[in-house]
Amino acid sequence: MEQPRGKTGWTEVTEPGPGRPGFGASDRRPRAAALRLLSTMTQAEIKLCSLLLQEHFGEIVEKIGVHLIRTGSQPLRVIAHDTGTSLDQVKKALCVLIQHNLVIYQVHKRGVVEYEAQCSRVLRMLRYPRYIYTAKTLYSDTGELIVEELLLNGKMTMSAVVKKVADRLTETMEDGKTMDYAEVSNTFVRLADTHFVQRCPFVPATENSDPGPPPPAPTLVINEKDMYLVPKLSLIGKGKRRRSSDEDATGEPKAKRPKHTADNKEPIPDDGIYWQANLDRFHQHFRDQGIVSAVANRMDQTSSEIVRTMLRMSEITTPSNAPFTQPLSSNEIFRSLPVGYNISKQVLDQYLTLLADDPLEFVGKSGDSGGGMYVINLHKALGSLATATLESVVQERFGSRCARIFRLVLQKKHLEQKQVEDFAMIPAKEAKDMLYKMLSENFISLQEIPKTPDHAPSRTFYLYTVNILSAARMLLHRCYKSIANLIERRQFETKENKRLLEKSQRVEAIIASMQATGAEEAQLQEIEEMITAPERQQLETLKRNVNKSINRM
Amino acid sequence: MAGNKGRGRAAYTFNIEAVGFSRGEKLPDVVLKPPPLFPDTDYKPVPLRTGEGEDYMLALKQELRETMKRMPYFMETPEEKQDIERYSKRYMKVYKEEWIPDWRRLPREMMPTKKCKKAGPKSKKAKVTGQGTSLTNPADVLKKIEELEKRGDGEKSDEENEEKEGSKEKSKEGDDDEEDDAAEQEEYDEEEQEEENDYINSYFEDGDDFGADSDDNMDEATY
Repeated sequence: MEQPRGKTGWTEVTEPGPGRPGFGASDRRPRAAALRLLSTMTQAEIKLCSLLLQEHFGEIVEKIGVHLIRTGSQPLRVIAHDTGTSLDQVKKALCVLIQHNLVIYQVHKRGVVEYEAQCSRVLRMLRYPRYIYTAKTLYSDTGELIVEELLLNGKMTMSAVVKKVADRLTETMEDGKTMDYAEVSNTFVRLADTHFVQRCPFVPATENSDPGPPPPAPTLVINEKDMYLVPKLSLIGKGKRRRSSDEDATGEPKAKRPKHTADNKEPIPDDGIYWQANLDRFHQHFRDQGIVSAVANRMDQTSSEIVRTMLRMSEITTPSNAPFTQPLSSNEIFRSLPVGYNISKQVLDQYLTLLADDPLEFVGKSGDSGGGMYVINLHKALGSLATATLESVVQERFGSRCARIFRLVLQKKHLEQKQVEDFAMIPAKEAKDMLYKMLSENFISLQEIPKTPDHAPSRTFYLYTVNILSAARMLLHRCYKSIANLIERRQFETKENKRLLEKSQRVEAIIASMQATGAEEAQLQEIEEMITAPERQQLETLKRNVNKSINRM
Repeated sequence: MAGNKGRGRAAYTFNIEAVGFSRGEKLPDVVLKPPPLFPDTDYKPVPLRTGEGEDYMLALKQELRETMKRMPYFMETPEEKQDIERYSKRYMKVYKEEWIPDWRRLPREMMPTKKCKKAGPKSKKAKVTGQGTSLTNPADVLKKIEELEKRGDGEKSDEENEEKEGSKEKSKEGDDDEEDDAAEQEEYDEEEQEEENDYINSYFEDGDDFGADSDDNMDEATY
């Protein structure tokens, strides 16, 4: 039952050893599964995953997904048995989850396929609007819709994406204008070049000399250089507007909707080549944004532009989890500055020196060739940002004197009770009170240093310290918990006011249809009055609360 | 740690000064209940971030939630039957496109099992019952008798009659049953056949046997 522990303390899921029972032994599985789960999800995170899956995919998928998150890797029949769902529905749910990259499968010994949920990936669903908005700021509406389609569908072929996005853009354009496929393709290629979309692992084309029965599941492969390779397609065409007969009011049956099968008859040129949104690249972009705005706040606009340039130059060359970027020479930076910026070389050098000397150590000097080689210390920068966030949270929660104590302990690393009172110049009683408050909320922790081997409390030093990593993790966990609470609150509010919401929707629909058919002002007025003033008030409050809860998320 | 409790004055095992209370000072009261669920905070939270970006993302979020519900990936739970079927329900159904995953990328066990795959005698019986709606009844009954001979003698007479009546029902209903899954069809058949009779299966079906059996028994006890 011993599972080897990885370096980070996460247990590795290894192939079962010779002594392990087969996968049918359900009595031994829970312990093994529990070992694997040691550092994955807390209860609050599981609850949040459950709410997200339920909102996006329905209850059946939620049940299967949460079960997999709780119990780790399991084969199909065990899932069906443990959740009490029919095999058919489990298969469908798993297909949906695999399509959206939330579950992966692995073939184990004896041909058993096990399914494992990607817990952190489920939580990323919270950030979908941010990803889409980022694509909008970088690549305008076309890019925004491409990323949106990829996120909504999990994986898609390039031709499918281009067609769908062209159709959607054509809808929004004026009558008579259509969106050309070529333009959408260009944006797609640009997204691939900057690594915002990437290819999914694919089934390798095996020669048919493989004897024996086909494997129970395909092994999907992808290598680095293929990940951003756009297939040579000649996509010619324009977006199509939906026929106006399909655009019925919401209450009428969409009986005239054309059958879906008509489009599938054409051969797809890039069949089997699927693309997905590269979430890590977006996270890298957010990180860069954070660093640039931090520098702008601390220093000035020009220095932030310099840092932005440096980050842009190392976008593709530096892996996302590197501790610092590749060294960049001052000359290179000067050449890559944005066109509008005309600062002289000396001024640039002065700025770089200033940045490198700053105690925050965002930028470091790594050499003198090429006018000075500079790197951005990514890990240090992120650490500083995390620390700043912690400080700000302490300040907003407990007040500025607490924040002073917190910053003091951060700076001095370990402090005794007496020393805290002395350095912070705060009276003893208050200092004690504040320290204990922060201790109870786990922002500060105690470090014991025994003087004698029997750890007698009267002869032990107790030092206050801030463990940044664990405090940050605690804060993150708290955020997830708040989001889960907010979603529940929003659902509650919506349910309570369901009748009112439906009524207002109906009234809006009636008004819209009447306006379309040219009604008089008086009639419209009459219909609007169907919702009484207190109801309107209630609606407003509801909208505000719901928006607030969504906004906080 | 052996402490001398009860002997002499209570002495702290640790240095009380370190914790912050001077000797002899009144210690704070022991709290006997859990802290309040929503304690009053001295410092109110910071106002929400607003701005063009945040507004756009808010609208996006709401739109995404609505869109997700209409996608084919959203699996609806089958609703319970309502007492009265509302006319408007028919028109409020959202027509969703069917999504077919790329089977080449998925494990083979993911594919839905084909209908009527089972080659057991049970499914054959169900298939025959289903197909029987298109054949004439006598031929149908003959076939079924053959099938039943394979199954066993005990239930033969009962089943025969049940199936005859069952097939009559089915021919009225039409071909709908053929399209059901084999297992479901079989269960449906059995249930329908069971429901259709008001009589419990364990009772005799024909009146003939009853008389004969009882006569046999009565012969023995004639007083």
